[in-house]
Parts: sequence; structure tokens; C-alpha cells
Amino acid sequence: MPAAFSEKRLGLRLLLCLSFSLSGGSPADPTVTTQDVSKSQANLLTKMQAGLNESSPEHMTTTQTVNQQTQGNLSDHLTLGHNISTSGPGLATKEFKQASGGNVSDVTFVEYEVLLPGVSGTSVEKNITLDRGTRIELSCRLDNKYSHLKSLQVTWKRGNETVRHINKTETSWSIQLRILDNSKLGSYSCTLKGEEEISAVFNLQVPKIEGKEKPIVSYEGDTAVMICKSFGYTPIAWTWYVTNGSEQIAINDTLLTNKYVINRISANVTHMKILKLTKEDNGVYWCEAAFELGKSKGKLKLKVLSLMVPLKPSLAIVAEVVILVTIIFLYEMYSKKKEKGSEAEKEFDQIEQLKSEESNGLENSSARHRKI
Amino acid sequence: MLGDAICIFCKNTHILCSAGYWEAVFAQRSGWTMSPSVRSDLGYVPPDGGWGWAVVFGASISVGFAYTFPKAFTIYFKELQAVYSISYSQIAWITSIMCATTYGGGPISSILVNRYGSRPVVIFGGLLCGIGMVSAAFCTSILQLYICVGFITGFGLALNLQPSVIIIGKYFLKRRPIANGLAMAGSPVMLCTLAPLNQFLFDNFGWRGSFLILGAILLNCCVAGALFRPIGPATVPVKTQMTEEGKGALKEEVTEDAMEMNSPTDVPMENKTEEEGGKDCCEKINRYLDFSLFKHRGFLIYLIGNVLMFLGFFAPIVFLAPYAKHIGIDEYSAAFLLSILAIVDMIARPTTGIIANSKWVRPRIQYFFSFSIAFNGTCHLLCPLASGYTGLVVYSIFFGLAFGMVCAMLFETLMDLVGAARFTSAVGLVTIAECCTILLGPPIGGTLIDTFGDYKYMFIKCGAVMVLAGTFLFIMNYYNYRMLAKEEKERKVKGDPKEDPVRTENEGKNNWNKETAQDGPELEPLREEREGLKKEMNGTNEV
Repeated sequence: MPAAFSEKRLGLRLLLCLSFSLSGGSPADPTVTTQDVSKSQANLLTKMQAGLNESSPEHMTTTQTVNQQTQGNLSDHLTLGHNISTSGPGLATKEFKQASGGNVSDVTFVEYEVLLPGVSGTSVEKNITLDRGTRIELSCRLDNKYSHLKSLQVTWKRGNETVRHINKTETSWSIQLRILDNSKLGSYSCTLKGEEEISAVFNLQVPKIEGKEKPIVSYEGDTAVMICKSFGYTPIAWTWYVTNGSEQIAINDTLLTNKYVINRISANVTHMKILKLTKEDNGVYWCEAAFELGKSKGKLKLKVLSLMVPLKPSLAIVAEVVILVTIIFLYEMYSKKKEKGSEAEKEFDQIEQLKSEESNGLENSSARHRKI
Repeated sequence: MLGDAICIFCKNTHILCSAGYWEAVFAQRSGWTMSPSVRSDLGYVPPDGGWGWAVVFGASISVGFAYTFPKAFTIYFKELQAVYSISYSQIAWITSIMCATTYGGGPISSILVNRYGSRPVVIFGGLLCGIGMVSAAFCTSILQLYICVGFITGFGLALNLQPSVIIIGKYFLKRRPIANGLAMAGSPVMLCTLAPLNQFLFDNFGWRGSFLILGAILLNCCVAGALFRPIGPATVPVKTQMTEEGKGALKEEVTEDAMEMNSPTDVPMENKTEEEGGKDCCEKINRYLDFSLFKHRGFLIYLIGNVLMFLGFFAPIVFLAPYAKHIGIDEYSAAFLLSILAIVDMIARPTTGIIANSKWVRPRIQYFFSFSIAFNGTCHLLCPLASGYTGLVVYSIFFGLAFGMVCAMLFETLMDLVGAARFTSAVGLVTIAECCTILLGPPIGGTLIDTFGDYKYMFIKCGAVMVLAGTFLFIMNYYNYRMLAKEEKERKVKGDPKEDPVRTENEGKNNWNKETAQDGPELEPLREEREGLKKEMNGTNEV
């Protein structure tokens, strides 16, 4: 179903391939690997479509990741990762990621394929997360369906600055970038100008850190623990900041060991314990993860309450319990009294009856005596 | 680890409340219920209504807290793990200890009820729970949490659970299955409210404030306890017997013989008080906790069958959400499966009560119980065949239905087998025996999953165990019914004047005496009443 969905509903499919070469091997290598990759890509594509047919429902954003290890002509292991995400308005982006570990001499390619929509005006955005310095190749590919469109002027831009591109094939164009520091990150766009303008944007960014949306609630004199996690990427260092007014002040736990304890629990997780909380510790805290290519922040909120705050509802509930129990016991005593009262009445009636019967009986017996 | 298992379940429970409660009550009033003449061995005729419905309401609150509190508590695990820097299995010990204490405290609960009656025990239990949670709010180490939340609150819940179930047997006879079904329906209803409430409290007050407020909420068990008005042979029948027979005596010749006819219950009681001095150790223990139940055929059948059943009872609930995630369903849909289960459960329990009360099912309620266990097992066996989300939804619905059916009849069948008089001790002994297998079930399932890497073996194990338990119970109860019928025939042939109740063996007399003796404290004020009335009558006689 989704395959049909992607075929019918999508317009132009442009595959943007990103090829990675990590350590720059011989010139022959990239082409070899590209071919290998495209072969395996094709295999994977069909498999992905088959997979999509089975399980992903329509109208939902689904992300499927298929990891395959293929041993091709390369001596190392190729790990191929595929992400196929179908999002709302009929845009499909296919991301092919390849990376291999191993020796320095190995060549790694990461291909990012972005499908450009056929409708002009709308543009596709692709977010790419990078945590370390790499060489990447961003490419825009035009689907064979639309190869009839001639005289296309292709421009690659970063902001207002034009980047020189390579014509990989008749229908694909790419740029090669060396991302070594923060300055190279940003948004790169490829624009195809023909009768209509088609464009795609690549956002190169550092990994995002998740803080906590809901505030952490704690009490005066207690200890609060704040946790920051990085998903998938290991930061070089973690730093914690506290917001003082409009400034962010770094927390030095060696200086204030009685107050703050910062622990790096694992490579991707950091804990900060704030001891002996006071009302002043209320506020916003930031955890910052430093990566090779830049820094990323997560936001956390701390609320410090006094013990009176939960005490009031508790006392209210205790009062309610006491009132209910008293009502129940009073009702029980009342109904018992009522029963006793009615019983006493019954007994009284019975005694009266007995007396009257006795007197009747005596009269009868005396009458009998008299008769005899 | 059981704790993990329970935790996973609780984390994913988001449920809406629905009122399955009053269905049964309205259905009753339309005249649906027709019960066979099941004789009571209580020594009096239970009211089967009136204040009994208030008692059912209180019992459902108590039972609800006892069963759902450990499950709903797991919301706090993540935070506590971070604060105390401990691993998941260490924090999960809290709920394990709580569950173990709740079930293991059964015999103590039974002894206390035998001695003091239901009401004081439940009120004390409620107080204990409240104290436990409030002190947990001020804990500074995980060990203190184990004690406060695990032991103290767990024991308080144990003192809530058993007496609530016991007192239903004292207030209902003809409509007992319905009453049981309604009382057990408190569990899913309470889960609906406690789970989101806990989340709300945690978001607004943090874990310490939440514990404080939860302690106050648990005090509501005392309210439930206050509703458990004591009832016994003296409270109900003596008055009616007195008034009816008293009238008759007064209408006839007024002699002292009328006095003896008036109070048949007095005679055995007076005999009993004379005998008490000459009792030996065993009988004294049996007064508090009836170990002679182990010679009771029905009780043994129930015990073995249930102990076997609990091995596979709770594990599927615990692993349903993880299984759903394993086959690729997203977290919210997996949580929704549990919600479906809870809603179906909520409706199934009172409905099962009504069905069990009908004249066709009640005499053969043990078969119905065995059938529902086997049905439950079959659901589990078929679960691995369910593919995709729809299959799992269907499984959840059937599972909820089966789960509700079994739970609703869990205590009803025991009451049916041993009689309401000995039920007090029976329930204590049964819960402590079940305690082991209840705690073992999910970890064994977890081990199977870890060893084979596949959930289907866990489902197969649970299903097989339950089908086996159901079949065992079915066959053994068939044998039991035949033996009981034989014994009944023999009794009739012997011409025994004292009509023993159908469900107990020849110790009927002893039971009756025991019951009247055990209800001692409850009868004190009434005994005095009777004395007073006797004097009045004597006075009138002399006239």
C-alpha cells in the first residue's frame, strides 16, 4: 500500500545521494564504491518497498530502518542504513546512510537521497545530524520520469553564497564538502531552474539534546537530580548552566562541592545533583553537550516547594475521611436506637396483650368455676 | 524480575473510567436473579440486601486499593531510581515486597478477623497504610522505602483485602456471586482512577508530596471499614426468633418452657462457654485459624488448582505491552491495549457475578470457574497466532473478559466450597499459598523470554498451565460433587435431624458452634439485651 502511495502520489522523485569518503582513498575507490552502493541500494530499495507494503499504514509518519551488512568488493564491512519516512503532504525522502568501521584505509560513503517534489514552490527539507568532522557529498537527482525536462540550471547555495557543484550524471548534481568545524554547518540548498523552480534544502546540524519539558518538583532541604541524555551521539564534554536573571552561569562543582555534584553516568548521560535545596534554586537550568562540530543545549526547569504545599490537600483529605467515618457511625447509632425503640414498643404491646389475655382467661376460668 | 514486569505494565496504563458498577444493581431489580436454595452454615439468614450494598461498596474500595496500589505505584520508579542512584531491579523490590506482604499477610488477617471481626481490622489496616505512605514521604534511603512502602503499606493492604472479602460472605447468600462480582469490580475502576491520579500528583508535587497525599487517600480505607457493620447470629435472627417465638409462647400457656424455646442459640453458647475451659491447644489454634481445613476435600482441590493457575495468571498482562512493542506496535497503541483490557475487565466482573447467580449456574459454579480458567488459558495459547494490531486487540478483549470472569469468581467459589463460616480461615491459608506462585509467575515468564528471545513460549507456558489447572479443577470438582451427593444421601438415610449445610462435611455442628463462639465480641451488647428481655418475660410470667 505505501509503495503505491509513494508511486502514485508523489511527483518527481529526485534522489539525492550523499557519498562519503572519510579518509580519501584512491580516486578509483569512490567510483567503485558508488557502483557497489548503487547496486545494493537498488536491492535495498526493492526490499524497502516490499517492507513498506507489509507494514506501514497510510496517513502516519513511519520511519523504517533497515540495517544490512554486505560484503562486496570492499575488504571491510559495509553497514547500510536506510531510513524511509513518509510524511504528510506526499513528500517522501529516502535517506541512505552508509558507514563502515575498520581501518583508516577504508572508504566510507554516506548517501543522503532527497526526493524533490515536482510541484514548484514547495521545497523539501532534510535534517542531517553530524557530531564529528567528516567529508560529505550532497547530491540532487532527478527521477527518470522527468528526464524530458531539459535546460535545467542547477545552483547550489549556502545562504547567499554559491557553492561549486559537480555534474555526477545527466540527472544528478552534487557538491562535496569538508565539515571540520562549526562554521561549515548550516543550510545548503540545491535549486533546479527550468520552466518551474524546484529546490531542496539540507540542514546540517549538531545533535540535539533533550531536556525535560515538565518541571522537576522538589522540596526545601531535599536533593534534586537533573538528567540530560544525548541520543546516539557521544559528546566530548558536558557543562551545566544556571540562569541568573538573563545570564547563564556555568556551574563549577569543584568549587561548590556542598551544593552541586556533577556525574557523567555513561558516555551519553549526565547527572547533576543539587543538594540542600532552597527557594533560590528555583529556575531554569541548561545542560550543554560539546561535540566536535559545536555545542547543543537542553533545558530543564526546577521547582522548589515548601512542605506546606502538599500538606494542605493531605489534611483536607484526612478531614474528609474523619467526617465520613463520623457520619457513618452516627447513622449506625441512630438506626440502632430506632430499632431498639421499635422493639421496646413491640414488647410493650405484647405485654399488654398478655395482660388482657390473662385477665380474659381468669374471667373464663372463674366463669367455668362458677358454672361448675 | 517481577518488579520489572509489574512496572512495565503500570507505566503503560492509561485508562478511562466507565461505570460498570450499577449495571448489576439495576439488572437485579428487574428480577433477573434466581438463586437455588443454598443453605447457610452461618447460623443465621444473611440479609442479601439493605445495608449489604453499602458493605459491597466499601469492599470494592478496599479490594480496589489492595490490588491496584502496587501497580499504580510504579510511576514513581524512574524518579526514585535517579534520586537514590539505584538500578531498576532494586527499585522494583518495593512492589515485590508490597505484593508479597499483601498476600502473605493473609493468615494474620484471618486470625484477626476471627478474633475481632472485620470492621476493626479494616480500620486498622487503613491507618497502617496511611502511616506507611506518610512516613515514606520522609525517607532518606531505599531501605527505609522498602520498610515503609513495602512492609507497612503492604501489611495494611493485607488487612484490607481479606476482611472485605470475608464480610461479603456474611452479608450475602442468595446474591453472593453478584456481590462478589461487584466488589471485585472495584479493582479495575480503582486502577482507572489511581494511575492518572498518580501521574497528576507526581507532576505537581514531586514524589515526596505525592506520597504524603497518597497516604491521606489510603486513609479512605477506614471509611470503607466503617461501613462494615458487624453481623452475626445474634444480631439478625435472635430478634426475629425472639419476637416470633416469644409471641407464640405468650399466646400459649405461660410456663418456663417458653424461655428455653425462645433462645435456641443460647443453649449451645452456654454449653460452649463451659467447654472452653477444657479445650486443648489444637482446638484453640483452630479457633483462630482453622487448620482442619487441610482435611477438607473441596478446600484442597481449590488450593491445588489455584496455586497452579496463578503460575500463569499475571504474566501475560505484564508482558502484553512489551510484546506489542516487540512486534512493532508503537508505545501509545500498546498502552491502549491495556486500557481495552481494563475496560472489558470492568464490565466482565459484575456480569459474571450476575451469570454465576442464575439458577442454572449457581449449583454448578465450580464448573463455570474451571471453564473460565480454561478459556483464559486457551486465549493465551492462541495469542501467538495473532498477527498485527487487530489480532492483539481481539486478544485483549477476550483476555479482559476471561480475566474478569476468573477474578469475579475467585473468592465466590472458595466460599461455595468451604462455607461462609470457615471462609475466614480458608482465605488466609489460600492467599499465603498463592503468594509464592503469584510472585514466581512473571519472573519465570521473563526468563523464558530472555532464554528463547521470543514471547510465544511465555504465552504457551501460561496457556498450558491454565488449561491444565482448569481441567484439573473440572475433573476434581466433578468428583467432589459426586462425593457430596453421596454424603448427603447417607445423611438423609441416617435421619440426622441437624441439617448440615451442603458444602461442608460432618463438622457442621462444630462449625456452627465455632461460629457462634467466634462472634463473641460482636454479640456482647446483644447478649445483654437478651438477658434484659428474658427478665421482662419472667416478670410477666409471674404475673
